[in-house]
Amino acid sequence: MKQFSIIKYLPVLSILFLAACDLEQEVEIELPEYDSRPVVECYLEPDAPFQLLLTKSSPYFEAFPSLDDDFLSNLLLQEAEVSIKHNGITYPLENELRFDFFTGKLYNYSSTATVPYDTLNPFELMITLPEGETITGSTQLLPQIPIDSVVVEVAESDTLARILTYFNDNPNQENYYRRMLNLSSLDSIPEQDFAFTDRVFEGNVVLGTNFEYERGDTIYSALFHIDKNYHDFLQSIEAAVAGNGNPFAQPSPTANTLGGTADAIGIFTGLVYDRRMVIVDF
Amino acid sequence: MKFIFTLCLAFFAVWGSLQAQSNVSISGTLSDGESGETLIGATILVEGLNTGTTTNEYGFYSLSVPTGDSITLIYSYVGFQPELKRILPTADVTMNVGLSTGVKLEEVVVKANSFREQMNSTEMSVEAVSTREAKLIPVLLGESDILKTIQLKPGIPSGSEGTTGLFVRGGGADQNLIVLDEAVVYNPNHLFGFFSTFNTDAVKDLKIYKGGFPAQYGGRLSSAIDIKLKDGNNQDFEGSGGIGLLASRLTLEGPIKEGKSSYIVSGRRTYFDLITRGINESQKDDPDFTPIPDYYFYDLNTKVNIQLGEKDRLFLSGYFGRDVFGVEGDFFDFSFDWGNATGTARWNHVFNPRLFANTTFTYSDYQYNIENKATGFSFNVGSNIEDVNFKTDFYYTPNNQHTIRFGANVTHHSFTVGRLKAGSDDGTISFSAGQEFEGVEFGAYVADEIDFTDRFSVNAGLRFSGFNSQDKTYVGLEPRLAARYSLTDRWVLKASYARMYQYLHLVSSAGAALPTDVWYPSTAKVKPQRSDQVAAGVSYLLGSQFLINLEAYYKVLDNQLQFVDGAQLFANDELEEEFAVGEGEAYGLEVSIEKKEGRLTGWIGYTLAKTQLDNFETLNPDGRFLQETGGYGAFSPIYDRRHDLSVVAMYEVTDKLTATATFVYGSGDLRWLPTGRFTFQDIYGASFESVVPDFQERNTFRLPAYHRLDLGLVWQFHPKHDFTFSVVNAYDRRNTFFIYLEPEFEEVDNGGVLVEVPTRIAAKQVSLFPILPSITWNFKI
Repeated sequence: MKQFSIIKYLPVLSILFLAACDLEQEVEIELPEYDSRPVVECYLEPDAPFQLLLTKSSPYFEAFPSLDDDFLSNLLLQEAEVSIKHNGITYPLENELRFDFFTGKLYNYSSTATVPYDTLNPFELMITLPEGETITGSTQLLPQIPIDSVVVEVAESDTLARILTYFNDNPNQENYYRRMLNLSSLDSIPEQDFAFTDRVFEGNVVLGTNFEYERGDTIYSALFHIDKNYHDFLQSIEAAVAGNGNPFAQPSPTANTLGGTADAIGIFTGLVYDRRMVIVDF
Repeated sequence: MKFIFTLCLAFFAVWGSLQAQSNVSISGTLSDGESGETLIGATILVEGLNTGTTTNEYGFYSLSVPTGDSITLIYSYVGFQPELKRILPTADVTMNVGLSTGVKLEEVVVKANSFREQMNSTEMSVEAVSTREAKLIPVLLGESDILKTIQLKPGIPSGSEGTTGLFVRGGGADQNLIVLDEAVVYNPNHLFGFFSTFNTDAVKDLKIYKGGFPAQYGGRLSSAIDIKLKDGNNQDFEGSGGIGLLASRLTLEGPIKEGKSSYIVSGRRTYFDLITRGINESQKDDPDFTPIPDYYFYDLNTKVNIQLGEKDRLFLSGYFGRDVFGVEGDFFDFSFDWGNATGTARWNHVFNPRLFANTTFTYSDYQYNIENKATGFSFNVGSNIEDVNFKTDFYYTPNNQHTIRFGANVTHHSFTVGRLKAGSDDGTISFSAGQEFEGVEFGAYVADEIDFTDRFSVNAGLRFSGFNSQDKTYVGLEPRLAARYSLTDRWVLKASYARMYQYLHLVSSAGAALPTDVWYPSTAKVKPQRSDQVAAGVSYLLGSQFLINLEAYYKVLDNQLQFVDGAQLFANDELEEEFAVGEGEAYGLEVSIEKKEGRLTGWIGYTLAKTQLDNFETLNPDGRFLQETGGYGAFSPIYDRRHDLSVVAMYEVTDKLTATATFVYGSGDLRWLPTGRFTFQDIYGASFESVVPDFQERNTFRLPAYHRLDLGLVWQFHPKHDFTFSVVNAYDRRNTFFIYLEPEFEEVDNGGVLVEVPTRIAAKQVSLFPILPSITWNFKI
């Protein structure tokens, strides 16, 4: 629901002043001490291997290691024991660096076993760090909510098209979604990417864009059916990024979706989605 | 309710007649003889007898004197020539007196009057500024602003650009009762807080109570700001106005029937938009040009004042103001407007020389509307609060030892919270959200100002208040007590206690108060806010020209609202699920020295204060509030300012030239900055976030201290014309509006592939304005 936020319009007046004078300057400030925290990203995609990225956070002003240095060792948290338990089976994840050339994503814990598509039984994450502290998590795969159709529509007097993505929301339950729309390829910066609830609609729902796509554009329209934890986590990431630098925004700590003794940040969730590709043609 | 008041009136009538047996009452109205404007807080003294009184907020007074010998009454008011009236008191008499500015007298009694009034009153924790002071002291771009000027007084943190709220004695921005001719003004700001909604040309009087609240005020915890509009000149037609860099204004007033009725109309409008529209028009063919948003604000005050006879007076007044902001692009048309509307119908009636009544019917509305039209799609967001209020207040003066006030009010509130309509023009996409509430707030009070001796007086009152909404009713008893003890003619001790209930809550983000903040009623889950404040102080009259005040306060706050972490504020039909409720405390010490007479006038005020909030619980069990769950404990709100100093000097260089200087210094406000960061690679198709801030404990970073010097010069080059020159931020201090932490990136060749990697994080400070000179031409017709 990013597009409803007035907040982004409010600093415009400030910018009017800033444009006239040099009213921005670099300053030296001291922030309170910060203890590094483990950061977990683990998405369970049916029929894909179990894989997990375990990194660590840093004090805000700590110097970034250059790529020439031991960049990854500064970033990754290694030598942890990681396992995922599901339906009585424990899947150990080996500590090995794995770069997925297709998705461009990096994982330092993975298994060759694949995620079973089971929406009835939970998946339990257990991480034991080298110092003995633990990180736990629990999630459940959700049923896919299919996209009914992706429609390209052109205004009568225009040469640009908009994309309408239709789906059905079950009014009898609270649903959470992530909407993603990419232009040209999935490696591109998404044109739309936001998490939302079905709080203000139900039944047949359509997600739209502005009239801004040209003939021949390739569009990837995706609808993820996510759980509340993941929704809250994504919202909190967005709010945390927006809260730094916008005096009108409310800062937000990251939603805590994990348990254990290690005070970890991160997300352990299922990833069930429907994605359609259309080529704009009219 | 009607029965109780009939009973009260009967009781006071009987008591009055008993009291009247050996005394007679002298009552009436005191006004400016040249314009007919009633004078508030003017003094009436009986020469030779150590007795006297002051006019109430409607200019009415009542004084008991013994029958028998003739007496001389001295009517006086700062800036006016005192009027002496000699009478033989044999029966109750009405004396309406008009004072003239005339030749200035050098009598000490006149110079000290305003201080004497302060010294003799049980009122404490009260600040006032005159419109003259407000007109002399420049604020941004040469505009005078009486509400900004009052913020230079101790206990009301000053300065700090970009924060719109008033944070009185550690209270929140929603805890100020702001009434314009007795109608509540919910958002007193234009231009995101740089200017107030009150046009100084139309204002007669502004008074702010920071504590020791008289019983007639209720509904807010931290302050009551009472603004009275001018009544209008009932003698001659008069016009005044000004043309400045930011805005122009015009006020017209005059008699409808000379001496009996008058009107006043006052308006102002900014003209940013005329300039920016011209720039946009000239650049419209440049494809790289980004249009400058349109912005303007305007307001209009009107008032009619009709004397219906010796005993009745009717006032009708209204205010309407709007801020309008718009920006248009190739694919969108965005508009955002907000503002207040108020209306007041007021009837003053003198039942008898001892009993005066003021009955008021008011209407208040505050709303904001946001509309965005994109190609084929539009959305509309808005909220509003609308009040209809009936109120009656009685002033009863059985003798010079008692001034009794009692009254009642009832207000019907209508709330629209987070109204949202969005959809495509063809109806394919459509959704809406929003909540509507109704509530009734009521109160009744009685208070007696008792002069036990010349040295010792007490104002004891009790207010009963309540609120009903959604089948839930809250009620509360609010005791009020203020006492004064004069050690000597120069030393006065004062103390007060006040309990306040607040049934409405302003839901605002942690960043800053905005026009989009929403007023929310108390509901079954959201309990009324409550405060208990004690204050104690000492006043010392130094010589005949200086008054030194020292005051300490301690305030406990209950049921304070904060948003939970990651609160969803828009399109949320269950907004109260996003609240956390806690408690707070505020304490501080305020010192001031003030000089009101002579060529050099002004004041120095200093406040040492601390505010803390604690023990917050989320209303929704799933809500997040890391401050509590993370074990960080108590925290201070962003407006917690440890030191606050203001120095205001006005110097009359010659009869035609007045120079002013204002210096403010304050500890920086607090901010919630992230202390850590992490990388978030996200899923396939999403963007990689190399720096995600990790926010932990709230408001631990204090911005650099705020300080600023403003200079002004008013040159009266013609009896009806003056130029006001001002330099705001005279030494070009770059005060902090906000600080943000910005990662810097560079492209690195990583095995033949160019990769953008973060190299460092820089802290950037943004200021809002540099040195700002301006000139305004003011005129009278």
